[in-house]
Amino acid sequence: MYRKALTQFIKQIICLGMVVIVIAPILLTLFAALKTKGDMAVTSPLLLPAWNRITFENFRDVLTDKYLLLGFKNTGIILLISLFFNVMFGTITAFIIERFQFKGKKIVVGLFFMGMLIPTFVTEIARFQVIQGLHLYNTIWAPIVIYVASDLMQLYIYRQFISGISVALDEAALLDGCSYFGLFAKIIFPLLAPATATVCIIKAINIINDMYIPYLYMPKNKLRTLTTFLMNYANAQQGSWQTLAAGIIIIMIPTIAIYVFFQKYILAGVAAGAVKE
Amino acid sequence: MSKLNKKRSRFIIISLIVPMLLLIAFVVFPAFDLFRMSFTNWDGYSQEKNFIGIENYISMFQNKDLWMSLKNNAVYFVIHFFMIFVELAFAVLLTGKLRAAKFYKTMVFMPYIINGVAISYAFSYFFSPINGAFDAILTSLHMESLIRSWLSDPKIVNYVLAFVSLWRFSGYHVILFMAALQSVPQDVLEAAKVDGATTWQLFKYVQVPAIMLMVDFVLFDNIRGALQVFDIPFVMTAGGPGYASSTFTLYTIKTAFTFSNFGLASSMAVAIMFMIIFIYVIQNYLIHGLILKDRRK
Repeated sequence: MYRKALTQFIKQIICLGMVVIVIAPILLTLFAALKTKGDMAVTSPLLLPAWNRITFENFRDVLTDKYLLLGFKNTGIILLISLFFNVMFGTITAFIIERFQFKGKKIVVGLFFMGMLIPTFVTEIARFQVIQGLHLYNTIWAPIVIYVASDLMQLYIYRQFISGISVALDEAALLDGCSYFGLFAKIIFPLLAPATATVCIIKAINIINDMYIPYLYMPKNKLRTLTTFLMNYANAQQGSWQTLAAGIIIIMIPTIAIYVFFQKYILAGVAAGAVKE
Repeated sequence: MSKLNKKRSRFIIISLIVPMLLLIAFVVFPAFDLFRMSFTNWDGYSQEKNFIGIENYISMFQNKDLWMSLKNNAVYFVIHFFMIFVELAFAVLLTGKLRAAKFYKTMVFMPYIINGVAISYAFSYFFSPINGAFDAILTSLHMESLIRSWLSDPKIVNYVLAFVSLWRFSGYHVILFMAALQSVPQDVLEAAKVDGATTWQLFKYVQVPAIMLMVDFVLFDNIRGALQVFDIPFVMTAGGPGYASSTFTLYTIKTAFTFSNFGLASSMAVAIMFMIIFIYVIQNYLIHGLILKDRRK
């Protein structure tokens, strides 16, 4: 009995230690964001300032920056269009790969598989010419086409899901005179809704957090996303940690909020995306 | 061809054409284009593009900074590799009998979904020499003598950055291991317990075999991730001081977009691609050919 209680106690201590490590950098950044410039110098970075000296000035500075609003808008547009096409192409491609035998299928599957092995960042060296050649450089379409064309994790999730749907359903629908498009649009697509939720949430987090593609392809001020906004903001705040800290906290909020609300889908999808590999 | 067959192939072609075109234009073609560019001295903008044979590959192999960068990648790999044991332990802990397990699961994965740029800046602040929290922690523990310039001392900067990388990505592996562990049928575990198996025996003989495939994936993810470390050093140190915290990918990107040597950068990109594919093939062979076959016997 004692031993059981003791092991539980030790386990709790270890887990609490983990929580402290996870929370500490975020919490300490929040502390800094609530301090005035003077308090940054005199109070310990491990402590909040005195209660009556807490300031929201740093947050006001970030929130009134006109580029923050623009960043929200641009990230939102990129997100909506990318997710729409990701879901559309992802579902139909997975459906065809899972359910149909056709000439050249091996090549199609092979190309998609290759797409997953190709390293991410360094491919931009060659992709850059393609984007420029299509006159997409410095337009909001550059990240959109890249997010739609590459990062193919949705295929795994959809394929796994479709393989769990009975083929008898397809056959019955086709016998009843349903067209192939009808079968996909009216029967398969709605059944994939849970997988679509997972795909959308995980992709949304990846897209909101992505730094390099917007940084490389959209240097224009008007095209800042949330993440590149923070990078510009950081360069402008050189050395003034309390204002930068407020920016950091604000940029962290959207994905943390998504995580808190949709945790179930995220954890399920993350594991599903990996298992099949 | 029958009418049905015609309809069928029309459906397949119409559905696949756009996704395939996108994949070819933005993923497959660039990958092949890297090969072609790697034999030229192209600077990224001029019309002139001369074929120079394998010169880029020779200068790549002679590039000391690049080798140093690759060594830095190894630091990430080794540290993440040893962390796998800790991650496994946490996965076992969190799937076992534990109060508030759900809350801990939420916390362990949270770093993975937080904005990478934001957290890199947060850690820059954490390790900063002025008002830095880490130095304050050391001071409060009376260990002032350990204080270093965490992000500008070439000897330790990579370990600090690798720690940030651990902070961000370990939770992902814990969640993957947990999913694999939970796929072990409960009755098998119960039966083994009834037969008097200890926790360690359960882990070794029931759980480990069940999660071998996931270990395989995590290992590959670790190698692939370590070879492609980019955003943490890019944001926190820009590879500095000098090239002390540069990584292979960071150096490649810099060669292209900062030094306008697209030819040389392409040869480095080809090298990364080959390393990833090579490791994938070897590991596939080892895991699926040897270990899994062994189990079936």
